[in-house]
Amino acid sequence: MAPPARLSNSIFGIFRATSFRPALLRKCRLYHSYEYSQPPPFSATASAILASAITHVPSYGFTSTALKLGAGDAGYLDVSTNLLPRGVFDLVNYHLIMQRLALKDNVQFPSASEQGTAKKLGIGAKVRTLTLARLRANEPIIHRWQEALAIMAQPSYVPTSLAELARLADEIWFLAGDTSVDTSWYTKRASLSAIYSATEIFMTQDTSKDFTETEQFLDARLEDVTRIGGFLGALGEWVDYTGHSAVNVLRSKGVRI
Amino acid sequence: MSSVLLSKSKVLRNSSRQIPILDFLAPSIVTWRQKVCMSMHTAVTASSSTNSQSVSQSQNPKNKNSQMRPLNQEQRDFLESALRVNQAGELAAVLIYTAQTPPLIRSHPHLRPLMKHMYEQEEGHFKTFSELIAKHRVRPTLMYPVWKAAATALGWGTAIMGREAAMACTEAVETEIGGHYNEQVRVLLDWAEKMETRGEGVGEEMKELLENLRRIRDEELEHLDHAVDNDAKAAEPYELLTNVIRGGCRTAIWISERL
Repeated sequence: MAPPARLSNSIFGIFRATSFRPALLRKCRLYHSYEYSQPPPFSATASAILASAITHVPSYGFTSTALKLGAGDAGYLDVSTNLLPRGVFDLVNYHLIMQRLALKDNVQFPSASEQGTAKKLGIGAKVRTLTLARLRANEPIIHRWQEALAIMAQPSYVPTSLAELARLADEIWFLAGDTSVDTSWYTKRASLSAIYSATEIFMTQDTSKDFTETEQFLDARLEDVTRIGGFLGALGEWVDYTGHSAVNVLRSKGVRI
Repeated sequence: MSSVLLSKSKVLRNSSRQIPILDFLAPSIVTWRQKVCMSMHTAVTASSSTNSQSVSQSQNPKNKNSQMRPLNQEQRDFLESALRVNQAGELAAVLIYTAQTPPLIRSHPHLRPLMKHMYEQEEGHFKTFSELIAKHRVRPTLMYPVWKAAATALGWGTAIMGREAAMACTEAVETEIGGHYNEQVRVLLDWAEKMETRGEGVGEEMKELLENLRRIRDEELEHLDHAVDNDAKAAEPYELLTNVIRGGCRTAIWISERL
């Protein structure tokens, strides 16, 4: 029988050896540097093919035909679509990533000094603007978007799709200027992801002019979350206050705590 | 194969011709162009890894950022978990002192200025790291509420056990934390040295982080000295108490690095 010290060491060693880090969490976040450039999301060839393939999506949908036509336009052979091992999903993923990265250039908020005395735009309003802008980026291909949703829902692509959704939610909160770094970091991103995906599905069914119904749907969902969040916040505050008062009352009575 | 090479050089020529004109007209196009350029850099460097540095510098001499090689996956992973752990640690420190102060200064009023001083420094550290992780878009730890409860319980429990136990708790925590910061400073200095031998400048971001880490480490070690001056070693089951707390700290660090 091993002495307890050696036993505990070996157990600890096993823990240390296994790189225990959930894949989804790992994919979601990485240190964002302002000085050191970030690596580009796609290689040059892949992005050339995908960029021209995306222009064929409105007429051919998210299909291998669009990919082949895209490769042809970019000056490559049909067979070079093998560069993209996940095929059509890579096309969907390209759209998602490019639209997410385009968000920071598409939506510009006036800085505090430019706004002057005008009413300051709150974080909630900024989140709404950004979410709408991202939804509007789906407009040209909205009639094909259900195909894309079906591809994203395939079991092997679900983790990547969810990670990309999380990154979009993170991007929106970051661009809106939110700096919370406690548990609300998670709840904010989770609720925005839920709202965004629900609205995206609603939008594929929306036949109203200029997607006004989608806009109303989004506003209603955002309002729900604000209300629930406000209630939970007030509840937390009440519990905190009551707990502190109870401890202080006991202390004033001479209890040694 | 030849068509691939041709199209590459065509894009390169286009981009180098168009950037000066478009620079002020449409910044978004320029950034996109630069992205294409950058992705070609990686393609080129991957194919000829022997003189990658000289290639990327000669292709884009005007761009200041090209002097600095992008952080690799490992480095970004390290910075991410380091900042997350540091924020969680400082949160715990703030809460430990918050919970310790009332029971402690009731029985030992002369400790009030010391506790206030240590609390204020910890609060400053917490603020620094919270700002840093918001700025660098690092995920805060998932165990946030757990650490909050654990730190409050630890602080309150040791303060109830008496002054010596509270100081032993501070000593144990600050020993672990000091060692942890030292480890991070060592890694960053190692990177800085490697960057300099490769002839790249060390970014302001890195320098600032290094400076912050060193300052905070020194302040934590100062708390350790205060704790020892206040009879931490006289705590009743000294060995047991400090070892349990240090083990707890190490486990918390291990978990926060990952979750």
